[in-house]
Amino acid sequence: MLKKLTQFYHPTTIEEACKLLAKPKTAVIAGGTAEALRKDDSIEALVDITHIKELSHLDQDASTIKIGATTTVQEIYKSQKLKGMSGNFLKQVAGTVAATALRNTITAGGNLAAQLWWSDLPVAYLILDAEVVCRLGKPKRTVSVVQIINDTPAKFLKKGEIISEIHVPCFGNNTGCDFRKQIKTHHDYPTITAATRITLKNGMISEARIACNAVTPFPFRCQEAEKFLVGKKPTAENIEKAAEKAANSIKYREDYRASKEYRQEVFQVMVRRSLEASVEAAKK
Amino acid sequence: MQLNCKVNGKACCFEIEPNEMLADVLRREGYRGVKVGCREGSCGACSVMFNGKPRNSCITLAAMAEGADIMTVEGLGTPDKPHLLQSCYVKHGAAQCGFCNPGSLISAKYLLDNNPNPTEDDVKEALDGNLCRCTGYIKRIEAILDAAQQMKKSAKSTRGKK
Repeated sequence: MLKKLTQFYHPTTIEEACKLLAKPKTAVIAGGTAEALRKDDSIEALVDITHIKELSHLDQDASTIKIGATTTVQEIYKSQKLKGMSGNFLKQVAGTVAATALRNTITAGGNLAAQLWWSDLPVAYLILDAEVVCRLGKPKRTVSVVQIINDTPAKFLKKGEIISEIHVPCFGNNTGCDFRKQIKTHHDYPTITAATRITLKNGMISEARIACNAVTPFPFRCQEAEKFLVGKKPTAENIEKAAEKAANSIKYREDYRASKEYRQEVFQVMVRRSLEASVEAAKK
Repeated sequence: MQLNCKVNGKACCFEIEPNEMLADVLRREGYRGVKVGCREGSCGACSVMFNGKPRNSCITLAAMAEGADIMTVEGLGTPDKPHLLQSCYVKHGAAQCGFCNPGSLISAKYLLDNNPNPTEDDVKEALDGNLCRCTGYIKRIEAILDAAQQMKKSAKSTRGKK
């Protein structure tokens, strides 16, 4: 692991970090929990961005939650600032991530950038239509989380560019969210992760989001099933059909914890139950 | 490269390899209370206090600890002068093979530093990343709750004296 590593930088500004990251064979590190998995032994320098104060913050106003990239999962989980549907949902999801010591280490941005099948926060970002702020020194661009996930962060981010902030919209009335994961023990790797969001307007579904991970190699949005639900009544039949469409829309990964067949069967049930829970929450 | 940090309140300068893990550096420097179990951040035996929060030192690159304030179990108490948590672990028999104790004591210290009145669920959550293969889970919960009670009593009597 990191056999050729010779340099370790601790920049204190984003500009400085981006400049260092523009050098060849240089990579970024924040929580570093996935470092042991890094297969790229060509890396010669790491840039630790956890000393950049600007990247560690958590704020919420009436419309948006702003999460700094190096904010830890535990800080999200225990935050007194996060409120309302989106805030409480993020806290709930953060609380299911691994164990305390790991939650103290894993960061909001790293969980997204590492793009791992066991990551939970990206699933929440996907159903909440989060946006990601990327910085290349001073210049910045804001992109949808679905774009960065579909392109994969490694390909999407330019050389020297980092994720600096995640923006999550605050959803209000008529919207319900649900997150669930199937896991053998509290901090084992999950076999299935599923989350849904439903927004109702005049008794009809005006917006639907279905996202998953662990059944897939990367976080994934089941957009065909989402489209099917929009404009329809939240009946048991429609929800069942949407769950079936979601379950049929993905290529399943498998490991010793569960086969592809098992995951497909159970994922469909979890999506159905999750949609039912989101609809109920949206009605309240 | 050099690593400058504080360990158990003492300023240290260690010579490290850039790809070394913090647990390995600490053990090499004599902090043998840091145990290496899984090497993947799952078992918690390597937990140290890192800038006031428990962290798995087996998956933390030592170079990330530049300027950090680290506490290992050696900083908690000594055999002659054990920390109250350590005394309560002994009193309740919360140690069998003892391998998980340094890590779980660090997690317990963090809990009581931040929550002097924990419930059983709080204790379970605080120690959710500290596996005990002897399955001594009940006794350590009893020990930590007892330590919390004793700390409260001692705080009350100190206030009374003032």
